[in-house]
Amino acid sequence: MARNKFDVDENLESPFNIRHFRRAMVYIKRKKTPMIVAFILSALSAAISLSAPLIMQHVIDVTIPAKAKLALLGWAGLMLLTIVVSVYLATIRSRIMTSVGQDIIFDIRTDLFKHLQELPFKYYDDRPQGKILIRVVNYVNAVSDVLSNGIINFILEIVNLLFIAAFMFAVDVRLSFVILAGLPVFFVIMMLIKTRQRRAWQAVSNKSSNLNAYLQESISGIGVTQMFSREQRNEGIFTRLAGNFRTEWMKAQRYNLLIPFSVDNLSTIVTSLIFLVGLLTLSPQDMTLGVILAMSSYAARFWQPILNLSNLYNNFINAVAYLERIFETLDEPVTVSDIPDAKTLRPVEGHVTFDDVTFAYDPGLNILENISFKIKAGESIALVGPTGAGKTTVVNLISRFYNISSGKILIDDQDISQVTLKSLRSQMGIMLQDSFIFSGTILDNIRYGKLDATEEEVIAAAKAVCADEFIREFDQGYLTEVNERGSKLSQGQRQLISFARTLLADPRILILDEATSSIDAKTERLLQKGLNELLKGRTSFIIAHRLSTVKNCDRIMYVSNKGIAESGSHDELIAQKGLYHRLYTAQKMEA
Amino acid sequence: MKEQTETGDQMFELKWLWQNLEGNRTRYILALCLSVVGSSLTIVNPYISQRIVDTFIAGDSALQNLTQERQLLIMLCLGMIGFSLLRTGLAYFTTMQYEQSSQNMMYNIRIFLYNKIQGQDREYYDRNRTGDLMTKMTGDLDMVRHSMAWIFKTIIESLTIFIAAVIYFFTIDAQLTLWMLILSPPIFIVAYIFAKRVRPMYIDLRERLSQLNTTTQENISGNRVVKAFAREEFEVQKFTEKNVNYSTANKKAALVWLDYFPFLESFAQGFNVILMLAGGLFLMNGRITFGEFTAFSSLIWAISNPMRNIGIIINDIQRFFASLSKIIDIYYAKPNIVNEHTSTNKRRYEGRIEFDHVRFKYDSAIVLDDVSFTVEPGETIAIMGSTGSGKTTIINLIPRFYDVAEGRVLVDGVDVRKLELDELRDNIGMATQDVLLFSDTIDGNIAYGDPDLPEEDAISFAELAAAHDFITKMPEGYDTVVGERGVGLSGGQKQRIALARALAVRRPILILDDTTSAVDLETEEHIQKSLRELDYPCTKIIIAQRVSTTAQADRILILDNGKLVEEGTHAELLAKRGYYYDVFKLQNEGIGRQVTASGKE
Repeated sequence: MARNKFDVDENLESPFNIRHFRRAMVYIKRKKTPMIVAFILSALSAAISLSAPLIMQHVIDVTIPAKAKLALLGWAGLMLLTIVVSVYLATIRSRIMTSVGQDIIFDIRTDLFKHLQELPFKYYDDRPQGKILIRVVNYVNAVSDVLSNGIINFILEIVNLLFIAAFMFAVDVRLSFVILAGLPVFFVIMMLIKTRQRRAWQAVSNKSSNLNAYLQESISGIGVTQMFSREQRNEGIFTRLAGNFRTEWMKAQRYNLLIPFSVDNLSTIVTSLIFLVGLLTLSPQDMTLGVILAMSSYAARFWQPILNLSNLYNNFINAVAYLERIFETLDEPVTVSDIPDAKTLRPVEGHVTFDDVTFAYDPGLNILENISFKIKAGESIALVGPTGAGKTTVVNLISRFYNISSGKILIDDQDISQVTLKSLRSQMGIMLQDSFIFSGTILDNIRYGKLDATEEEVIAAAKAVCADEFIREFDQGYLTEVNERGSKLSQGQRQLISFARTLLADPRILILDEATSSIDAKTERLLQKGLNELLKGRTSFIIAHRLSTVKNCDRIMYVSNKGIAESGSHDELIAQKGLYHRLYTAQKMEA
Repeated sequence: MKEQTETGDQMFELKWLWQNLEGNRTRYILALCLSVVGSSLTIVNPYISQRIVDTFIAGDSALQNLTQERQLLIMLCLGMIGFSLLRTGLAYFTTMQYEQSSQNMMYNIRIFLYNKIQGQDREYYDRNRTGDLMTKMTGDLDMVRHSMAWIFKTIIESLTIFIAAVIYFFTIDAQLTLWMLILSPPIFIVAYIFAKRVRPMYIDLRERLSQLNTTTQENISGNRVVKAFAREEFEVQKFTEKNVNYSTANKKAALVWLDYFPFLESFAQGFNVILMLAGGLFLMNGRITFGEFTAFSSLIWAISNPMRNIGIIINDIQRFFASLSKIIDIYYAKPNIVNEHTSTNKRRYEGRIEFDHVRFKYDSAIVLDDVSFTVEPGETIAIMGSTGSGKTTIINLIPRFYDVAEGRVLVDGVDVRKLELDELRDNIGMATQDVLLFSDTIDGNIAYGDPDLPEEDAISFAELAAAHDFITKMPEGYDTVVGERGVGLSGGQKQRIALARALAVRRPILILDDTTSAVDLETEEHIQKSLRELDYPCTKIIIAQRVSTTAQADRILILDNGKLVEEGTHAELLAKRGYYYDVFKLQNEGIGRQVTASGKE
């Protein structure tokens, strides 16, 4: 599937079916015991509250005509007792169900988040971030009630319905059929709108997803937008997306509201029919008046649970539109994962071998073809070559961010596809081109490289990368709060912080991908001195455009044309008078 | 005192809501009125059915009526169906009006807020996290919509039914009615106490939701870093903490509700007990008739249900206010730098830039200190300096992303604070270090500043930015959709697209903030050549770390710690043997290049 944009609806690959519901049941089943308890409490509470009309009936029929004031007081006391007991039971049920509902969505959300952690870069590259975010937070919230109280109420209403039906048939079979006659009509109406209603809610979830994606992008891209003073045009796009959402919402409501409308009217029609049929067509002699009276009240009572059920059904259909998105995300295949019996990568010395490696992001479009090289522990390697030649790809493969199409990558003779990702990546230090800063203190950001690092260790790492000085210039020093987009830090300072973060991890293999591109020459020079010390004994891969950085490496590999075109030390490559030589002299000529 | 301000706030918030209902007020009031009518109608059908029972089943002359008044029976039944259709049809229509007007209101507020967010200055974004803003624009906004569509509807309907029933009861028997109402004050008191206690919980709850949103959002944005450090477990831990907090806060608020629910619910059901007791005694005393007692008993739900709803309403209302105040925060957030978007006739500037004794502070730290320089139209200026020396700040002051603390920044001789912001920014093309692309096609990204740009032009600008070659190698060329933040492209590729985007607007002032840092040298040379040969007049300000980039500039400014320390051409600065000379030496060390190497004299 092509990359998704903010204004493109995501097609649902698989239609919702009972399988999805069964998956939701997995979460519900974990809460089986409390749910059964809650169900029993509800049933008890309902049963007890049924006694109130009986008491009232008795008082009217017996106590009042007898003018027994004391008895009346007694009955009132009893009624109060039933109310208190049934309300109390209902409260306990609600207490239980609050926990159950929250726990269920807690579990779903946790699973969703865990799964997201395992999904490859490609998943994140392929869709706007806002669309992922809304699933984890908003969608999960939206299904909470349906998956907890919804289910209990559903069962309760069905039990209720069966009870009423039983009473109804006990009183009169023929009139019972009159009451039931409304059901087929109801089902036909449901059938007619079911599909449309589902589509409508799917459209609502799609449109809200688009709206959110655009919103999030607008917030992240605010700087660019303001720069190009494109606010008004963006407003136009946002207005269109908000309008689409509103339209779909109203459409969904149109179908939703049809259901209570039909049930209400069917219920009235059936009640009228009881009067008409009971009083006019059936012979009055075998139809006592009490029967008709009872049946007319049963007609209303029979349709009440149906109305409640159809409201539950409405909520369910609505929740399904979100549930299927949640499960779709959970079903997203994890392409880079530990093999079943993955071993732990032993502490690494730092030999890296590429053995006939071919790689493609998209099948058929090879980025790298049949690359082979061997690097000894402790060597420093510079990767140079034109932009987009695949330098970053080479280093990404070492950390197994992607699976290779064929060949093998070995670290200390251990195939990296056979070891756990955690053991592999935790021994590598990778500094990426984008230096992402989490919101929090500078201290926390550096500590991300080694979670249990002491403050001294953090400061030492910052000193090594020449970041200590500027950090101390802030009023709160290392405790200065920074965030993702904030302009408190310059780009160069961000790079230094993420550099410190990488060093703190004390990796055996260090990968620096344009790590110093935004850092000025003087700071870089200071950095270099500290670094040389730190690089000792570590294998390092450095991608850089500045030849002054490149030159000092043990070996330089020129990446181009899907492979390593040249490889050797600076002097060797210069002597070769090939691509590197050209690159080198280009810089020389230019300045 | 505190209470007063709280009520005051709420009045203000409701007024705010009313203002935003502008354009939908008629519809909303119509819906409220129809609610009143509709809920009154609920009493009609029980009445008809009562009449049928009285006339044809239970009454003394029932059998006689049944044979003689069949017509009436059929009429009553049809009437019942007719009223039902009328009432449900009305309810359908009314609910649609609520939905429509609340949706319209949300739509209006949403767009207003969107513009508000777009119009905020950089300082605002330094303070507010994406996740927070997202929470306000999604969860909070929906809570307000929910209130308009549902809570107020429930309030009005409950109230109508309650009042109608009480009036009806009064016409039957005032004393019994008063006895019944004895339960109302305790209900109100309990509801009031509940409201007081639950309000801070909902404020807390939505704060937790916001934190959950922020943590998740940052995890998604920073997913590459997470994987690079194999920090998945740590992230799950961090997330779980927020997830637990949110879940706990949810439970806590619900449990507070459940502390009060038994009282409210028992009171509501207690109406039956009162009726039985008081009504029963009155019946025994002969104060009321049996029929009157039945009338009370058949309509008792009309006063107990509204009382029962009070708790639910209060619950939702507190959530509503917690969300509403957050939205109003954005609504009234005033940026220091306001873009009015009023300029209709945008002039094209010549491109003269002047910094006049500019000082700039960030928080309390001085970032720029007494910086003065002038750039003539068409000149190319390079800025160099150590990390954090204030280079980016200088260029951020030109399009007025920030305002100076002292001194002036002038464009074409006019203080930027006196220029129309839209016009000013429309005269500047800028490519920044932190390249941000949008999830759109490459063509769409290049044309971001000028959406009507023909594709041929996009291609020619991509050629200038040395991006055309790699773009055509992509499977779908210019129609390739790049992910948000341009993921899927290398750093150098992103920079070149951003450069093409900045060139494509053909502005008289072009600012490049280290835009070629991740580009290899050969490519950079091509870009430098393009920049020299642009087919439109243009003042260029280029921040760069590489001497190879700065050498060709008309003038080079060296910044150190917020101060302008050196200024001159490549040759002049080399001759000075200062900062620039040092950098030059560092970058060419060992390459054997001579200090007198070619550059602008």
